[in-house]
Amino acid sequence: MPATQTTAETELAELIIAAVNLEDVRPADIEPEAPLFGAGLGLDSIDALEIALEVSRRYGLQLRSDDADNRRIFASLRSLAAYIQQHSQQPSPQPG
Amino acid sequence: MSAALEVAVAGFALWNPPGRARPQPCILPPNERRRAPDTVAVALEVAQAACANAGRDPARLPMVFASTYGDLAITDYMCSTLAKAPTTLSPTRFHNSVHNAAAGYWSIATGCHEPYCALSAGRYTFANGLFAAALQVCADQTDVLYVAYDIDAHGPQTQITRSHGILGVALVLTRDGSGTSLELAAVAERSADTAFAASANAMADSLPLIAALERGSGDVLRLPLGPGSSLQVQLRHR
Amino acid sequence: MLPLAITAYSVVCATGYGQKALLDALRERRGPLRPNDFTAQPLPTWIGRVPDLESATRDLPAPLTPWDCRNNRVAWAGLNADDFMSAAAGAVERYGARRVALVMGTSTAAIDATEAFYRHVDDPAGVPPQLLQPELHTPHSIGDFVQRALGLAGPCFTIATACSSSAKVFCQAERLMRLGLCDAVVVGGVDSLCNSVLYGFGSLQLLSPETCRPFAVDRRGLNIGEAAAFVLLERGDRSDLTLLGYGETSDAHHMSAPHPEGLGARLAVEQALARAGREPREIQYINLHGTATPKNDAVEAQVVANLFPATTRASSTKGWTGHTLGAAGSLEAVITFLALRTGLVPGTLNTTQLDAECGPQIQLDNTDGDIRFALSNSFGFGGSNCVLLFGRQTA
Repeated sequence: MPATQTTAETELAELIIAAVNLEDVRPADIEPEAPLFGAGLGLDSIDALEIALEVSRRYGLQLRSDDADNRRIFASLRSLAAYIQQHSQQPSPQPG
Repeated sequence: MSAALEVAVAGFALWNPPGRARPQPCILPPNERRRAPDTVAVALEVAQAACANAGRDPARLPMVFASTYGDLAITDYMCSTLAKAPTTLSPTRFHNSVHNAAAGYWSIATGCHEPYCALSAGRYTFANGLFAAALQVCADQTDVLYVAYDIDAHGPQTQITRSHGILGVALVLTRDGSGTSLELAAVAERSADTAFAASANAMADSLPLIAALERGSGDVLRLPLGPGSSLQVQLRHR
Repeated sequence: MLPLAITAYSVVCATGYGQKALLDALRERRGPLRPNDFTAQPLPTWIGRVPDLESATRDLPAPLTPWDCRNNRVAWAGLNADDFMSAAAGAVERYGARRVALVMGTSTAAIDATEAFYRHVDDPAGVPPQLLQPELHTPHSIGDFVQRALGLAGPCFTIATACSSSAKVFCQAERLMRLGLCDAVVVGGVDSLCNSVLYGFGSLQLLSPETCRPFAVDRRGLNIGEAAAFVLLERGDRSDLTLLGYGETSDAHHMSAPHPEGLGARLAVEQALARAGREPREIQYINLHGTATPKNDAVEAQVVANLFPATTRASSTKGWTGHTLGAAGSLEAVITFLALRTGLVPGTLNTTQLDAECGPQIQLDNTDGDIRFALSNSFGFGGSNCVLLFGRQTA
């Protein structure tokens, strides 16, 4: 059974779609636990930088391309949303 | 008059519809298609069409790409953003701002390891690109894909650059064969400022050549090559 | 392949004005890179800045002042270094202006002027008139400026293929000369510090916050530099220094990352050797692209280790100059000429511990040697690769 998105995850899905110009994808289409990079959505390193820039503007936290934990942080919509929630300096919507 | 270069045109293509319609080249994989700027879209569209027209495998063709200005929309974005909020510059748009973006995207889309050149000669770009492509055909004894393109200027840019609409042309040049041959020679003369008319695209110098190729007749064209020179193009249809 | 004689060359970069300043900095292991003092907003990185450019180029003559901008000032400084202007004038006198071609390489061109125009566009006082010169706002602004400065009337265009730009100019020169379309070619590269490049590479997270350390195990990315380098090429018997071969390829992989196995780089090296009729073991020095990014250096180290014996010395000199992008090809060709002529083989400045992927070829320290054949590598953004092979004749 596909996992449902939290509000925070939907907001992040909208950010991703806008940041990398995914014209044919709706926010609800992004499976929260599916891979964002390589397979799944098929994003690449330039997309990661673009997303990092938008995340920094929206939530005030820096994502570095040389961070050893990136594979885990960017693994899925869910992992990225969780990371933002833990580290952001600005309030994000409550889950549910 | 200096020594001539002689090449034949194996195939060609033009994108210059009214308005500023942007093509959607299917040769670009989805990842690249969603972030390709207009110059890349038009360059790849005509490149693909010219290769098909010529019956040539794109992966085997060295390339010359020419544009007066590169992607003016990206230049406008970059300079506006740098003037206001430089640390918010988009990495995608920066990486699309290099003059060889179209050439790079094309070589990636086609898996072509042959060399490419990306050039500008300002006001004289089309003729110099044609000359450089013909030079490579004759010097390296190889077919060469020549792609030339420019897009429109907007906003503050219109004070410093002049170009309208979206225009792309591509030619596959070859050493010999049937079809139209071009004999190119640099001629010392002050060239007429024809193509930079107020409503023209910066690459409009290409249009008389494309028209002559479509007619298939023997024409002699003079294209602006430099401040004191023209490129004489003698067409012969076989 | 028509071997071309290298009959004059000049250089201006972070080490200062002219070959002597560069050679002294190389010999004395003095790095002129500095913390970024160029951008108006803080951007933590180091840069290679031409010292005192404004005052050094006060003499820009009146006919050229309509095109005054940073990039053209760097060009003007380069043309006036090492007697290059008079060497070019000599070629014009020997062959006629129409028989001297000009092929320039750049990535920035005069984008500094376009950036300045945008900053002034909402100014009530209006835009300074010189920013409205149309010739400044295309990549060919540099070709146009140098053509005016030298009074040349032969074939003239500007190549902009990112980091390979002013290496590929040599290849075009060879084709022009071999087909008899000219009797001499001025080639060169000019790039200048500007916000586009600094913030641009910043957005790609490719800039090092420290001085760059090519091939180091702890390398963290680029330092951007600015430079002008010019080279005069004529027929093959006029100099002991010669362009003997070149290779040009595309990686066809990704716009901002090299082919993981260095396919295009390897093919370019092999082409250069083939055109020159030389074996890898005959190459005594390679000036590497060595930008200090994690990916470029890993791939380039692998290519060198796979193709060359341990006796071939190799280094990146970007610790002295920064990565000068569109000017790098010609600038590093000039550094290669200095190695060929003086026997000084520069090492790799700033790096203290080489990455384990480096083979025995890559040197940290300067050495001396009798260099007869050398390569210069330029591997650009967008997968454009160019390798040049130069030789020095003895007696």
